[in-house]
Amino acid sequence: MTSLILTVRESIRYRGRSGQYSWLAHRISGLAILFFLVIHVWDTANAHFWPQAYAWSIALFKNPLFGIGEIGVMAAVLYHAFNGIRITILDFKPEWWRHQRASSLITWGLFLVIFVPIAILMFSHMIGHCSELAAAGDSCLRIPAFSDFAQYAR
Amino acid sequence: MASISSNPPGKITVRRVKLERSYERYLWLFMRLSGVAMLILAVGHMVIQHVLNSSTNLTIQFVAAQWDNWGWKAFDILLLWMAIPHGIRGLFNILSDYIHNNGARRVISVILGLFVVATVIWATIAIVLFDPAIVP
Repeated sequence: MTSLILTVRESIRYRGRSGQYSWLAHRISGLAILFFLVIHVWDTANAHFWPQAYAWSIALFKNPLFGIGEIGVMAAVLYHAFNGIRITILDFKPEWWRHQRASSLITWGLFLVIFVPIAILMFSHMIGHCSELAAAGDSCLRIPAFSDFAQYAR
Repeated sequence: MASISSNPPGKITVRRVKLERSYERYLWLFMRLSGVAMLILAVGHMVIQHVLNSSTNLTIQFVAAQWDNWGWKAFDILLLWMAIPHGIRGLFNILSDYIHNNGARRVISVILGLFVVATVIWATIAIVLFDPAIVP
């Protein structure tokens, strides 16, 4: 436990500057994507193995709580992809390591320019979905009942 | 391949070295190659499924329409084969930074390896055998 606290504290305090923050963001985004990916893959496999569970789960994922998580996954995938390309280029071109700081700033800039409009669009999809349900007297926060998807049982 | 030493500080010297073939090195290379491939596959998947389409109107009928096409099935299988090993290898790399006991590391690598194989096989079977006709 003390080792965990030490790891977390030193990850932030360590004076590696821009490279250190890229490294930290790469790890956190990678772990976040993996957590989502494992659930997503096993859930999607249910489309074949247990269609009722799959149909219910994708209805559940329309809940804004999952919608916020989905925007987070989008952020993680975009940052991890761009920074991963930066890492790969620098791995094969060590003579460019002197541009470490500039390249990490360019990566953050590119990420923001692409992520922000996408996040706004995804957020507006979510709001649109909720107001559509609200107009019909329903709520996007309601947890769907498993039995409502009985027609998909095999 | 090149290794680096910076002496004096601030001045970078590049030295070509010959690397032996090893399991670790191929996994290192796999992380780079799958990463570059996933810039198209994973970012493409996110843009197509979450921006152009949206999970707020995703239904099992939409999935059935997509998986009626072997092109989409192949796209998803390829992404699956890259993403799960890439992600689990990344997790193992992170764990290796904090777990210094060789025995524990080996046990974890075997468990994670089995998890990769099981997940990839299970999900590949699901995509290949998915029959759009079963969806009402």
